[in-house]
Amino acid sequence: MSESPAGSDPASSPDPASRGGGHWYARGLFAGVTSVQGAVLFASYVGFGGLCAGVGFPTGAAIFSSLLVLALPSQLLLVGGYVAGNGAPVIALAVLLSAARLLPAVVTLLPYLRGRGRLFVQLFAAHFVAVSIWVEARRHLPPLPVEARLPFYFGMATIFNGGCVAATVIGFLLAGRLPQALAIGLTFLTPISFLLALTRNSRDLVDYLSLALGLALAPIFAAVGGRLDLLWTGLAGGAAAWAIHRLRKRAA
Amino acid sequence: MKALFDGGLWPYLLVIFAGFLPTDVWRWLAVIFARRLDEESELMVFARAVATALVAGVIMRLVLLPTGDLVAVPLAIRVGAVAGGFLVYFLARRSLLVGALAGEAIMIAGAYLTAG
Repeated sequence: MSESPAGSDPASSPDPASRGGGHWYARGLFAGVTSVQGAVLFASYVGFGGLCAGVGFPTGAAIFSSLLVLALPSQLLLVGGYVAGNGAPVIALAVLLSAARLLPAVVTLLPYLRGRGRLFVQLFAAHFVAVSIWVEARRHLPPLPVEARLPFYFGMATIFNGGCVAATVIGFLLAGRLPQALAIGLTFLTPISFLLALTRNSRDLVDYLSLALGLALAPIFAAVGGRLDLLWTGLAGGAAAWAIHRLRKRAA
Repeated sequence: MKALFDGGLWPYLLVIFAGFLPTDVWRWLAVIFARRLDEESELMVFARAVATALVAGVIMRLVLLPTGDLVAVPLAIRVGAVAGGFLVYFLARRSLLVGALAGEAIMIAGAYLTAG
């Protein structure tokens, strides 16, 4: 018997659980480096760095925010509020409202980030959840052995966090040297890539419905929803998609 | 090193108290309230639907009601770049990279012709 399944393909090893956490951490690093979503995220952070340089947000604080906040919409609101001269409570409220989307994102990832059940580890893991890593983790983590998921996730988080910090620095260095059309293209990367990633990640009717309803309701609530329009869009669109999913399930 | 502290400590405190804490409070609340939730439960399906609709709403808002550089690009080009990227994504057998590049090409060309 010269052929061993373990030797022919490491990914289909008969006992993947016996591999150490370091192996899966390295696989997570690799997944982060090769992630298209990650590359797009870093490009968006280059844009963020350039924006901060353009509006006079201090370099160090911009880099600090990429290290600590790890959510581009929160960081944009922060910088925009700072430039507009808004007080800290107003900025904090805007960030709080926009970051509510992270709660369901973390909730849906948690089943894969349980680890040994330690609360501290889960809080630390949750800190790195943002839309981009959510998209990648939902693709990569479910097929992995349970023991592999947390180290794999931390590998991806290392690349995503470090890459965002580095990209912010690069944005500052590039600032003012890009032609305007390319700078605009950089700004557009986030919407187009998130839209396509959400479409790719849709599995069931409820996913497609919530995506379509979110897109359709956003302009309506932007017109009539006041400052909370984004929350209304998420709650109404998500609830309607879920209700239709329930009705179909009950009818079936 | 001195450049890092331009503007004093205030921007750093702002990052912590108006950026980091209001963002991470949701991440931590999710862990505290959802530790025992099951991925396939209806509550999880509902949470996923709300998250998806929120992100979709952010995308639509960025395209329809932009701030910063995108303001300089006419609405028709912004919508056209999204629709074009979406169409090419499906034509290219669901390739995110090809779809995003197509949308970018439309946006950059449009920006060059109208705003550049």
